Amino acid sequence: MVIRFALAKGRVARKAIELLVALGYIFEDYSEKSRKLIFTDTTGTIEFFLVKSPDVPIYVEKGAADIGIVGKDVLMEHPAQVYEMLNLNIGRCKMCVAGYKDRPIPYGKKLVVGTKYPVIAKKYFHTKGQSVDIIKLNGSVELAPLIGLSDCIVDIVESGNTLKENGLTVLEEICDISSRLIVNQVSLKTKHELINPIIKEFETQL
Amino acid sequence: MLFNYNIDGFENIQHQDYFSLQKNINQLMSLYRSYGYQQISTPTFETYDLYVHEDSIPSDDLFKLVNHQGKVLVLKPDATLPITRMAAMNHPNSDEIIKYSYQTNIYRNFSSPEMVKKEITQIGIEYFGNNSPECDGEVIALAILSLLEYGIKDVHIDLGHVGFINYLFDELALSPKSKETLFRYIENKNIGDIATYLEQLKLPTDKKDIILKLPTLYGKPKTVLKEMKKLCINEKMEWVVEQISEIYHHLEVMGLSNYVIFDLGFTNQMNYYTDINFKGYINNCGEPVISGGRYDNLSEKFGIPRPACGFAIDLLKVIDYMEQENLLPQDDQNKNVIFYDCTDKAAAYQFAEKFRANGSIVEVFLSKQTWEDHVRSFRKSELYKNAKLYFLFEGKLFAEKNNEFLPFDSIAIESEVE
Repeated sequence: MVIRFALAKGRVARKAIELLVALGYIFEDYSEKSRKLIFTDTTGTIEFFLVKSPDVPIYVEKGAADIGIVGKDVLMEHPAQVYEMLNLNIGRCKMCVAGYKDRPIPYGKKLVVGTKYPVIAKKYFHTKGQSVDIIKLNGSVELAPLIGLSDCIVDIVESGNTLKENGLTVLEEICDISSRLIVNQVSLKTKHELINPIIKEFETQL
Repeated sequence: MLFNYNIDGFENIQHQDYFSLQKNINQLMSLYRSYGYQQISTPTFETYDLYVHEDSIPSDDLFKLVNHQGKVLVLKPDATLPITRMAAMNHPNSDEIIKYSYQTNIYRNFSSPEMVKKEITQIGIEYFGNNSPECDGEVIALAILSLLEYGIKDVHIDLGHVGFINYLFDELALSPKSKETLFRYIENKNIGDIATYLEQLKLPTDKKDIILKLPTLYGKPKTVLKEMKKLCINEKMEWVVEQISEIYHHLEVMGLSNYVIFDLGFTNQMNYYTDINFKGYINNCGEPVISGGRYDNLSEKFGIPRPACGFAIDLLKVIDYMEQENLLPQDDQNKNVIFYDCTDKAAAYQFAEKFRANGSIVEVFLSKQTWEDHVRSFRKSELYKNAKLYFLFEGKLFAEKNNEFLPFDSIAIESEVE
């Protein structure tokens, strides 16, 4: 039996592969430039593939992968029926509301929010009891307040440099974000003997 | 001009699928019947009032409409509630044993994602008036047998008991908010976040340790039972251990215990289950195809306190899986087609009746082209390519075989059609 990992492409995958290598798994054919889609370790017990981060929860929910490593932001934005078993504490950052400092919201108007995370933004402002208009953007979110598309943005903030360079600041922190290890609900029980040691190993690596 | 009249979340069922669906329904209904369950049906519409205080179904998920009296109705979002009411209305004696089976469509107005089905075909059973472990065992056994009956081998039942967690939390002075958060983390097996969250709470360390163990209570039943025994801090929790081990014993007797895995991480945050709670999975799909459990407090709503246990199968999900695995019963009965000249109409219908009397499918068409043309066009059609074609000329029947037309002995109809 093989345990399949679905990893979110990019920073998170690099760190996750580092973790796997640190655990003693060797992936001979893997290099960052490789065009291969699936990589198997030399013992043949672990396989991983790289997918776009919002797809990771679906791969794991449907059982195409047993384990996934993906940011909390993705899990919050695309909830899936999976077990969220470990906080890997890699790729740490914060989900924040950012905008111009000291610029009040126009009185009696709805707050306009630009974001890549409409679900998270909507939920956050909803629990605050603030009515908002959400504009879904796919990148360069910081641009939105600069050119007057939105009053503020909801985005992940790591160093805050991009914000600073564009004259924006963090107004409110929504929550902490880090990478999570998620597990298919059926695999966890049926491949118990294989998955549990891997999770334990990950736990001790932290 | 073509318009798109499709509505997201609703689908047509094609004839091949409908054939399989009907076969599958009949198969399970006779299984349930052999255990003494009687099939019933409740209306498609329900009053909104029935569901408005029900936490298990968010009000936004209901399809609502207003009738001519101004009453708010909903499209039935769930099978159990109306059946429980029906049992309460028709059988006021709460000791009476009532065993119902049902097959119905339910409707949920899920806002997203769009591809999620909003019309769900369910089949299942409800067993009222018995709160013994044997009753739970029978219900779980039937859930397993339903899938085995279809030839599905990769069946897993996750069995839990909401009482174990509830009786533990009864002893802890926690705000509803913290309880809800902890329950959510436990259901997610999110041990890391539980640990961080527990740090903020004022609880004795030994209790915290027990809470941290809850998400790990899954796996082989015997191992889990041992672990559970260690964590009991009151008699009620011990009672849960006893109940669930008796249910497991029942399944051992039935020879079905191999399909069962324990998972004590279920809570009753979003459902009406009071005791056992189980989910059935096939293959590795994380979405359950069966959901069931015991709901002893539901009937009280309708004035009759009555224990009950049951399950529902998401039939179309199961059929999707069976289709992938080539497990679906196929409609392989052959068709017969008779072409006739306008002078032979009466004879054609007589022949057709003869075929039908033997249980065959037969269709009759007026011949408008040459026989060869008819053969060519019918062989091209998906529906008729395997049909047997006959041609009637001056009262004589000719059967087509490899583009040749051989005289067909009508007396042979009987032997020809088994």
